Amino acid sequence: MNKYKEIFFKNVWYENPVFVLVLGICSTLAVTNNLKNTLIMTIGVLLVTGFSNLTVSLLKSFIPGKVRMITQVLIISFYVIIVDIVLRAYLPDVSKALGPYVGLIITNCIIMGRAEAFAQSNSPLLSFWDGVTSGLGYMVVLMVIAFFRELFGFGTVFGYRIMPEGFVNWTIMVMPPSAFFMLALFIWIVKGRGNNNA
Amino acid sequence: MKTENKFYVILFTFTITFVFVVILSYINSLTYDKVLENRGYFKVRAILNAMRIDFSDKMDAIEKFKKYVKKINIGGKDFYVSNVGEKVYAYVFSGNGLWGTITGVVALNKNLDRIVGVDIISQNETPGLGGRIEEDWFKEQFRGEKVDKEIGIKKSEKLGDSNKENYSVDAITGATLTSKFFVKIINNTISEMRKVLRGDTYE
Repeated sequence: MNKYKEIFFKNVWYENPVFVLVLGICSTLAVTNNLKNTLIMTIGVLLVTGFSNLTVSLLKSFIPGKVRMITQVLIISFYVIIVDIVLRAYLPDVSKALGPYVGLIITNCIIMGRAEAFAQSNSPLLSFWDGVTSGLGYMVVLMVIAFFRELFGFGTVFGYRIMPEGFVNWTIMVMPPSAFFMLALFIWIVKGRGNNNA
Repeated sequence: MKTENKFYVILFTFTITFVFVVILSYINSLTYDKVLENRGYFKVRAILNAMRIDFSDKMDAIEKFKKYVKKINIGGKDFYVSNVGEKVYAYVFSGNGLWGTITGVVALNKNLDRIVGVDIISQNETPGLGGRIEEDWFKEQFRGEKVDKEIGIKKSEKLGDSNKENYSVDAITGATLTSKFFVKIINNTISEMRKVLRGDTYE
């Protein structure tokens, strides 16, 4: 049980994929100006990371070294396409709102990174847990950034108006550059709070 | 097992790809009808929204569509006509946005000089930026807008332009290009509709 707890804290805090390993930055910049899209996108990443880790780990003794990475990409795309199909069929409005971003989960380097660094050499259940917690670490950071970007950029939280009527939206918060500033601020604050890995 | 053997590598790659693709196509075929149904419903919903016919849910929308909206073919093009109150013409358009094709519906009044409403069926613009063309405040700007000449976009601090006589709508902040492309599509669609409909629609 301790091992699971250790992985949890490692992936969410001490070796967080976004603010410590600085992976998955493209999507951090792209989707974080709206909380709802961010939430659904990160749930997708969480599930895909978990299940592709599980599958890679289950198949690891059969995968030839030469085609190891191709196989990982195949497994990852398999799960991403399933997420896409499920959204299209059962949550069409969400699928519509996210548009091309669901397909782009495939290129999120956190997923491949975990498959290569963890699932290739660990047991299936542990790998699944590692994937889920990595996705959680990713989700936490993106949600915090999205919260501030949506709040200042649109004056809303999950689409509900929070800021008073006279509030002038900070346009820069909606645009990609603000995600750079937000991420840098985030890393700075986290480091100041004693996470020296960051 | 000798997993580095050339033959094994080829066999493995082939098998795993085959298995995964078979599973995916099975899942895809299971949900295919549902996806088609959703797509059909998106179209019906967009046409009703553009024509300003209220509906409560999916069933209601499909029923009202059957009851009030007629599909007619004029000059080789499909138009949707409703007779609730004044006559309204709707046309399904498709045109280039910034990143991909935008499809949607424009509804014009009987005289073809004011927009009744616009709605979007599908688009691939940047979520949170150009993707906001789907938000109500943006679409609402077109409602009632006078269109006997082309409309344009302008920048403003407020959300949405409520003046219906100024031939102009507010662009989305941070997505000026998408806004520009969208308005261009709307202008083209309207002139296309006039070209086809004028002549046999003026009573």
